[in-house]
Amino acid sequence: MPLYLPIAELSMDVFLVVGMGAIVGFLSGMFGVGGGFLMTPLLIFAGVPPAVAVATESNEITAASVSGALAHWRRQGIDVKMGFVLIIGGAVGSFFGAQVFTYLKSLGQVDLMISLAYVVFLGSVGGLMFWESMRAIFRQRRGYVSPPLSREDRHKAWIHVLPFKMRFRKSKLYISALLPLAIGMLVGVLAAIMGVGGGFIMVPAMIYVLGMPTNVVVGTSLFQIIFVTALTTIFHSVNTQTVDIFLAVLLLFGAVVGAQVGARVGFKLKGEHLRALLALMVLVVCVKMGFGLVVEPDELFSVAEVATEAAGH
Amino acid sequence: MRILCLCLLMTLSLLSSVPAGGLVTDLSNKRIEIRYSFDGAQLILFGAVGSSAVDPVNDAFDVVVVVRGPEADTVVRRKDKVGGIWINNANLHFPAAPGYYAVAASRPLVDIAHPTVFASYGIGFNNLPLIARSERGLVDPDPEFRRALYRLRASENLYRQEVDSVSLVAEGLFRTDVHLPANVPVGEFLVETFVFQEGSLKARNRIRLNVDKEGFERAAYDFAHGFPLLYGLTAVFVALGAGWLAGVLGKK
Repeated sequence: MPLYLPIAELSMDVFLVVGMGAIVGFLSGMFGVGGGFLMTPLLIFAGVPPAVAVATESNEITAASVSGALAHWRRQGIDVKMGFVLIIGGAVGSFFGAQVFTYLKSLGQVDLMISLAYVVFLGSVGGLMFWESMRAIFRQRRGYVSPPLSREDRHKAWIHVLPFKMRFRKSKLYISALLPLAIGMLVGVLAAIMGVGGGFIMVPAMIYVLGMPTNVVVGTSLFQIIFVTALTTIFHSVNTQTVDIFLAVLLLFGAVVGAQVGARVGFKLKGEHLRALLALMVLVVCVKMGFGLVVEPDELFSVAEVATEAAGH
Repeated sequence: MRILCLCLLMTLSLLSSVPAGGLVTDLSNKRIEIRYSFDGAQLILFGAVGSSAVDPVNDAFDVVVVVRGPEADTVVRRKDKVGGIWINNANLHFPAAPGYYAVAASRPLVDIAHPTVFASYGIGFNNLPLIARSERGLVDPDPEFRRALYRLRASENLYRQEVDSVSLVAEGLFRTDVHLPANVPVGEFLVETFVFQEGSLKARNRIRLNVDKEGFERAAYDFAHGFPLLYGLTAVFVALGAGWLAGVLGKK
């Protein structure tokens, strides 16, 4: 059943769109990730212009994060103060990310930037995650138990030297506000240029750099993602008019259903196996994106209308 | 058959009201509305040749129909290998490239008239007066880029040259199908009909065709482009509401 999308200006099959949402929703429910890094490339492969894919996906992630954050809120798994510091950083990052996005779009290089960002970030995160989970799997087979870190050892010495210290009671931390600001900012930039929530960077950073307790990490990260992707949606709407609400709602519909099924499957798998699978998936997307950059394309030329590309007319 | 009857009927009514010697054409639909279920449109152009332009009963004639969509500033980019990866490198701007261009003819163009004749009337993609913008001002486009523009648009069914044919029914009556794909640009289209006989132009006329987003699709597009901030806020509230709903339902 074809549906004409007024902003993307193309006709797509409703079942294809909902199906893509369901598949990505299934995977994100299973692995407990947002799924933006899967959905945006999938939309691009399906023929949606990259700029529309990135901006629309931001809108979908807002919705997906609200339902996730609600569940964590009920379990008191959100450090609101930490969340707001991350949001401030994220707002700044998203604003600059959207500016860069608009500028590169006018140069015709936005597709390149999206591909490069995917290859670099997914490659490094996927590689690290894969290595870590494989090590965990092998260690477990040999019966190795890693020694618990003492609270004092959680931070490197340089982190305590930074100024503007703040107390985050929920996370039981007393650290410089500059750290979460910087992390938030990086995530904001990625949200704007990659069409992702940024959980795949933020969650490891919260655990390993900030030393936050794991029970508030996911909730706080989702809390930040709601606001940053909402801002990103607004920036893209104002700068490039590339947010397609209808596409986002259709994707979300599929994703909600898929996520419920995925979460049930996820409970049956072991944590390190899940991480290894997720890492593999991340690496596959990375390789696919990288492939497009290195291999000579069949068609070297591309055509675009300038009016729809120009920033703000 | 039904369509043919319709053609004949409408043509007969047209013939009576048109001065002799005229070329008359009409479209089955002059206003295409893009709505949510839009998946392209098929139109029928029908027409009749009056008696003094050519003698349709005794002399053979040819018909060429050119449909041209709205012009837009279009950029064609070429990827080159830079530092090991393929990136958009060279580009060329066509300030007025038609968003849609179709040529249909009753016979292959080479059989109808000499190429110079088509060139003088600007019939055929190669005869379109396309200019390119560069740092040196307006220049003749690099043929490689011009060919690429045609190839890319043709692959999207936006440029169609001699894909469709004009069928001559009888008694100076002719018809052709106009195929508009789902990604057709919106705006005013020109439908030009040329009647050739023995290699020279005998009559021509033009009619207009409008393609526009309608109803909800129009409203959404206007909203996004006219009030982008409000549109963005709406998108966010829709997402927040949908996410909240999903969260509440998912809990049960």
